[in-house]
Amino acid sequence: MEHIANAKAKKDLGKIAFQAAAVLLGVLVLFPVIYCFFVSFMMPNQIQSIPPTIFPKQWTLANYWNVMETTTIGRFMINSLILAGASSVIRLITASFAAFAFAFYEFKGRNVLFMLCLGTVMIPSDVVLVTNYQTISRMGLVNTYIGMMSVFCVSAMNIFMMRQNFLTFSKTLQEAAYVDGCSNIRFFFKILLPTSTPVLTTVFISSFISTWNTYLWPMLVTNNPLMRTVQVGVTMLNNEDGNVYGPIMAASMMVLVPTAMIFLIFRKKIVSGMMGGAIKG
Amino acid sequence: MKRKGLRQFEPLVYLFPALLFFLLFTYYPFIKTVFNSFFLTNFMGVRREFVGPENYIRILQDKDFLAAVKNTFIYVITSVPVSVLIALVLAMVASRKTLCSPVYETMYALPMAMSSSVCAMIFELMYNPSLGILNEILGTNISWLTDSRFTIYAISFISVWMNIGYNFLFLLAAVRNVPSDLIEAATMEGTGPIRLTTRIILPIISPTVFFLIINSLAKSMMMSGLVIILSDGGRSGSASTMISYMYTQSVNAQNYNNGYAAAVVAFIITFALMLLSFGFEKKYVNYD
Repeated sequence: MEHIANAKAKKDLGKIAFQAAAVLLGVLVLFPVIYCFFVSFMMPNQIQSIPPTIFPKQWTLANYWNVMETTTIGRFMINSLILAGASSVIRLITASFAAFAFAFYEFKGRNVLFMLCLGTVMIPSDVVLVTNYQTISRMGLVNTYIGMMSVFCVSAMNIFMMRQNFLTFSKTLQEAAYVDGCSNIRFFFKILLPTSTPVLTTVFISSFISTWNTYLWPMLVTNNPLMRTVQVGVTMLNNEDGNVYGPIMAASMMVLVPTAMIFLIFRKKIVSGMMGGAIKG
Repeated sequence: MKRKGLRQFEPLVYLFPALLFFLLFTYYPFIKTVFNSFFLTNFMGVRREFVGPENYIRILQDKDFLAAVKNTFIYVITSVPVSVLIALVLAMVASRKTLCSPVYETMYALPMAMSSSVCAMIFELMYNPSLGILNEILGTNISWLTDSRFTIYAISFISVWMNIGYNFLFLLAAVRNVPSDLIEAATMEGTGPIRLTTRIILPIISPTVFFLIINSLAKSMMMSGLVIILSDGGRSGSASTMISYMYTQSVNAQNYNNGYAAAVVAFIITFALMLLSFGFEKKYVNYD
């Protein structure tokens, strides 16, 4: 009897040890972020000290004050918020309308147009980066929010995901609505969209994170410091000598916390959206 | 009757905004880039004179571009398998649902929410030869980002880290879908964890692994942001990639001749690699 109890205790202990090890592994994976977090709260002289250390000896907000006082990071944040927020909303609109057409209508050329949409996945945005810059510059949209948003206004994956979702929507419900005198556009706004909030949220959240995180395009189409996004701004702090590491880490924390929080809160939604789009694709 | 005629156009109205953006910012620039690559262009990138394949011949003889092609391949070869492998190990660790598994699942997935510029900044400090923690931990004295022997691998590691989360989530879902009686039977027979992974789980999840490899292949072929931030705008050629070459040639040197041609070459190589991978898929990936 005692022997069995002992074996069970051993097994439980083993399980607990395994869980602890798994969490420790998580700490190791997140080490760069944790390190950034600690450095952002270090006194400048500790950051400059050799050999380098991980834990702050004395916690300070000096780096954060420094960033907020000496740089226009607030403005960068607002720029990024406008860019990510507005282009995600536009994406929702373009994708839901297109998915509506593909899922609920039979028309000539539907398959060709659908392939035309999906075909864009084969053309990486980096390949057309320079030519897109010229288009924007010819339209006089350099240093404007519209110029920055332009290339993020539509995504084939979003259309595909929403179409898959709309296809599961019962056609009979649409016909019933139609018989009741509900026009197509009314059906779209009053019935389809409200019942599709989960997929709309997923699309919005994932495109918000990806647009917030983009670097190259916003850098290319802005040269006015006031129009920089946070991603570009944070690398610009880098131009001086080594003692800006504290402020850079503070700024990095300020840039990564919003997306990390959104990711933590909406993890389940983001994951289900990713899987749905990819596995059927 | 008239109503029906109008209804024919209704779906096209809904498609219009999406198609407009696709045409304007994907298809049009793509065709234009290919077209322009056969012309000499001025410092604004405007076509001047048709020269045929001359731009291509020039960049394919340019040792900077050849180095960029080679570097891009090094990034792909080093980052893609390592990132998938690390993610697979993490997925195996997290495969069983427990009370605290959501905690470490989230920890393993979090890197995917990070941006390349923030990662570049953090790793730049970690890689700093005297102030960074990496040399201190490893007991080495290496200038990771300036010593040309290490730069590529140091940057490649950042992209490995950034891709872990995404790959992990897919592999976790796949691993959890493996029928548990298969695993139990194998464990009963005394199969060790490594054998279990390679012999039983890996064949079953091979479609996911393949998808991830293709996906990261396409991403790494376009690698540019980290290089531009960390190696002096990609100008110090030791770490440059095809896209960073395209970027620096066009934007910094205003040599659009080389820029357009490099963009097209990058596209062709990526496309060919994808086709090649689909060939492999038929042979090695198991969909049963």
